[in-house]
Amino acid sequence: MESPATIEPRALEHGDLLAHDAVPAALISMRDIWKTYEMGEEPLHALRGVSFDVQRGEYLAIIGPSGSGKSTLMNLIGCLDTPSQGRYWINGKLVSEMDDDELAHIRNKEIGFVFQTFNLLARATALHNVELPLIYAGISSADRHERAKNALSSVELSDRMMHRPNELSGGQRQRVAIARALVNHPSLLLADEPTGALDSHTSIEIMNLFERLHAEGNTIIVVTHEPDIASRAHRVIAIRDGQIEKDEKIR
Amino acid sequence: METELLTETALERRAPRRTGPRLEPPRRRRRLRLPPAFYTTWESLRIALSSLRANKLRTALTLVGVVVGVAAVIAVVTIIKGLDQTVASTFSSQGSTVFTISKRPSVITSREDFIRFNRRKDVTQDDAESIARLCNLCWRTGIAANAQATVKAGDRSSEGVRIRGLTLSMFAIEDAVVEAGRQWTDVEEAAGRDVAVIGPDVVDNLFDGAPFDRVVGRQVRVEGRSYEVVGVTERLGKIFGFSRDNFVEIPYPTFKKAFTARTSLIAFIQVPEEAQLTAAEDQARAIMRNRRGKTFREEEDGFTLETQDVFIDLYKSATANIYVVTIGVAAISLVVGGIVVMNIMLVSVTERTREIGIRKAVGASRRDILLQFLIEAVVITSIGGLLGVGFGFALAFVLAKAMGFPLLFSAGSAILGVSVSSAVGIASGLWPAWKASKLDPIEALRAE
Repeated sequence: MESPATIEPRALEHGDLLAHDAVPAALISMRDIWKTYEMGEEPLHALRGVSFDVQRGEYLAIIGPSGSGKSTLMNLIGCLDTPSQGRYWINGKLVSEMDDDELAHIRNKEIGFVFQTFNLLARATALHNVELPLIYAGISSADRHERAKNALSSVELSDRMMHRPNELSGGQRQRVAIARALVNHPSLLLADEPTGALDSHTSIEIMNLFERLHAEGNTIIVVTHEPDIASRAHRVIAIRDGQIEKDEKIR
Repeated sequence: METELLTETALERRAPRRTGPRLEPPRRRRRLRLPPAFYTTWESLRIALSSLRANKLRTALTLVGVVVGVAAVIAVVTIIKGLDQTVASTFSSQGSTVFTISKRPSVITSREDFIRFNRRKDVTQDDAESIARLCNLCWRTGIAANAQATVKAGDRSSEGVRIRGLTLSMFAIEDAVVEAGRQWTDVEEAAGRDVAVIGPDVVDNLFDGAPFDRVVGRQVRVEGRSYEVVGVTERLGKIFGFSRDNFVEIPYPTFKKAFTARTSLIAFIQVPEEAQLTAAEDQARAIMRNRRGKTFREEEDGFTLETQDVFIDLYKSATANIYVVTIGVAAISLVVGGIVVMNIMLVSVTERTREIGIRKAVGASRRDILLQFLIEAVVITSIGGLLGVGFGFALAFVLAKAMGFPLLFSAGSAILGVSVSSAVGIASGLWPAWKASKLDPIEALRAE
């Protein structure tokens, strides 16, 4: 084994891991994240140096007015996009430098999305919608059926498996989407305005479901502009003008 | 990439993540694991079929070009294969041991030629007899003279029947089989008796298809003259839609008496072996040129010497032209069909942008999306190809029935039809599929 003294000192390069931020232990680790859009003359900075960690099992809300950079941040956390600058690890994997297909793989393994507009395949049954991530994970159809059925029953939709989205209520559709998000055992459940298209009664139902999922050990991030929804989380990060304005534990 | 996916999955199964959702305990399974690409491909096939089902009319319209292209090729290839067999069996029965000497070639392509050949001297019985006498390589020599006439029996009549004045040797040269009754005899021929051997079509038309042996001994009338039917030949069937069984054959001397106006005849010469054909032709040509008073230098023979190669060559050049035209038609319809498919696929990609976004969000890679749309395009065109093969065979079947040639379905042309249409699918689906795979998931999820 070489002793550290024999290593030639050299200048620090971009991408070098420093001792203090060698692969982070946190589930999500963002370091000085910038996202810049080239819009005409002026570059538009949607995010300006955002850094934060999310531990496993946390229930986090990200709030902010529209145009604050909240959606951009969500897209980055969800690995739908890569930052212009900065580094982002999820579950120990440096995703900020990945290409499209590697990101797709990370989305499949690590992230379960819940969208405001549900985003279910209209022509597919609830069961097939829930199976979708497993198909791209290359799981055999028998395993898929079983896991999708379990996921659907965990959101109390066992009796609606063969229904298509247009035969389901808004709350039921969102629960199908949640089942889909959970079916591949992701590290993170990422919800974007999950109650934005639901009435208040159904919203409460869905938020109760989130609470239960959190209690079962899931890590949850909810992006919202509704204070009510944010208040259900255990920690709230407020974004304004592309920066973290506030990061507080509320429970 | 696939191995990486596999090992990663395998690792996870050995050591399940400590954190994360606990909807169910991770379980060990002993099921067969297929490569992940298998499941995504199967999913693509499923999607393709369901989206085609959802847009039935659009799919049907999209298919037209491909169906027409493939059907044209299949029909023509099948028909020509059937014709090839008919032609081969027809001409090989006389084989290439026979050549003919006649006033005009069998195939005349211009009016000028027709006029020129018409100025030639008729080929006469004397010409044929000189060849028979002088050409020592010629094995059999026969005479055939042709006319068309209405044939009657009782109150029935049949128009446009081929009347052939033959020498007895023609039965041997043409390898004709008399199924009922007999050929006429030397004596009957020499005496110019009114006897006839008739074809099965004449039996059908004049004697209500009576058994051939019941027809022997009956009378047929041709241009006011009565002939005793002494024999009926075996049925030969049709070629190119024309029956080969609609004839009345009478001894040549009888024919000369009955049809004086048409005096040019065709001399048939047969050699024992194909190898002797050229030498025999040379001899016969020399004898004929001599009889026509042609000098060594003169180019024009003043008669036509030909073998059945003339027909085979004509047939070959005709089918070659048909093939070229068909391939042209098929190529145009396939290109147009391909463009239509490409257009529809582009529409489909646009319509399903959100679906693509959803699939990408849950982990579909670019390759998965590319394959999905490519498979969809190939499924469309392969269905088109299959329908084309079906329609093509159906068309060939109908034509074969109508024209009376054997139907030879070839698996090769069916496979070719389907593979060509699949190739069209790949070619026309590639760009739309590539566009779909390139979509930004964020933008795609926002699409309406």
